[in-house]
Amino acid sequence: MAAAALSWALRAARQVLPSPCPRQVRTYYVDWRMLRDVKRRKMAYEYADLRLRINAIRKNSILPKELQEVADKEITALPRDSCPVRIRNRCVLTSRPRGVKRRWRLSRIVFRHFADHAEMSGVQRAMW
Amino acid sequence: STSSVLSTDKDKSAASKDSTTEGASKKKEDGAETPKQQLLDIIGNMKVEVSYRKKLQQLKASENKKQAMSKLEGLDSAGSVPQGTTEDTQRGKPLNPELVKAASAVASSLPNNKKQTESELLAQLRRHEETTDKQKKGGTINIRNIISEMTIKRQSPAQRGARITGRISLQLDEDGQRIRPERSSALSIDSRRYFCFFFFVYRSLKVGKRLNIFTKASRESEHALKTVFSPTIWDLEFAKEVAAVTAQPPRNGFEEMIQWTKEGILWEFPINNEVGMEDDAEFHEHIFLEKHLEAFPKEGPIRHFMELVICGLSKNPYLSVKQKIEHIEWFQKYFEEKKELIQEI
Repeated sequence: MAAAALSWALRAARQVLPSPCPRQVRTYYVDWRMLRDVKRRKMAYEYADLRLRINAIRKNSILPKELQEVADKEITALPRDSCPVRIRNRCVLTSRPRGVKRRWRLSRIVFRHFADHAEMSGVQRAMW
Repeated sequence: STSSVLSTDKDKSAASKDSTTEGASKKKEDGAETPKQQLLDIIGNMKVEVSYRKKLQQLKASENKKQAMSKLEGLDSAGSVPQGTTEDTQRGKPLNPELVKAASAVASSLPNNKKQTESELLAQLRRHEETTDKQKKGGTINIRNIISEMTIKRQSPAQRGARITGRISLQLDEDGQRIRPERSSALSIDSRRYFCFFFFVYRSLKVGKRLNIFTKASRESEHALKTVFSPTIWDLEFAKEVAAVTAQPPRNGFEEMIQWTKEGILWEFPINNEVGMEDDAEFHEHIFLEKHLEAFPKEGPIRHFMELVICGLSKNPYLSVKQKIEHIEWFQKYFEEKKELIQEI
């Protein structure tokens, strides 16, 4: 009896507590291009070791050329999205393919927006 | 020497110092350089600090012995010892007659009560003799027993440079030799040696006399283990509820940081560079990888190629030993599949 009353009181108290400040919740990727880029990144991660090893056989002056040709064919047989070259560093918030600063992963427009609102730590308007 | 170099009574020490220095100066004024003079000079230069308590004790002891001696003398006159030598032979060992003569000469030269000063000087001399005898025998001083068991570990100057001063968190076992295996074994060895460089190391804690200060702790707590059943779902739910309710929002920045550290958002300080990688392998397993090359042919381009691969892997600090072995095994499989091709060549 006392335990039940206690647990009910606890539940009530938990609901009254304020939730932490809500941030912008993103449940979807911004657009399909961003989704495809995400898929390419995942595949590149999976096949990274394999590609490294086959490339080690290919870019070789010691092994016979026949082996290297076979390795060439093998690597072309891998899925296209597994190569890291196809990854594009898009803006994380707007999916803009150009004008993206690598350190913040943001496009120049978004970066400017946040910096002017003082939401970028350590970023200041340059003046000299 | 331990008995003499102790807490001083300033008046007595000052008086003795003054008396000895005055005596020395007077002797120097005379000028004659006989061996007796040299002895006197030596005695005069000796600066003895006397503790008042010890002096009182000795005086009492000397008084008691005098009483005993007088009683003995009173009892049997046949075995009477001449009083002049009682003081000399009180402690059972005769002093050097030259020293006695020198003491008497010094006492005569001083203006104060001659007999008292002479007796005091003789007592001090006797004490010196005793302490030297004791040190020679090695009986009383207990530190000797402890130090004899200690050894100093020698370091090479190269290792000293590589030591890290911050790593004092080590645990010495009984012998001081075995360490609890830590992640970086090289660093722990260095820190242990750094520790031992400055302190004496016990060869073993169980050798030697038992002091019987501590009693053996009872081992009941180890045996009294509760038989715990795996917690039921209801228990888990209840625990979650309690944790959620009791988790108050952080009152200040410190509590916020603690919460973030628990969640994993904030790193732990001092920063541990090896958080994700718990590599328990020794360095030789990373570097000497030739033993994995046994399945390969010993000559030919493939062997050459694999040796290059191993050279590169040994220099790679980012992979674990398992990953390196997998790498080599992948190549092994690959070349086995291509065996027919290779044999055509």
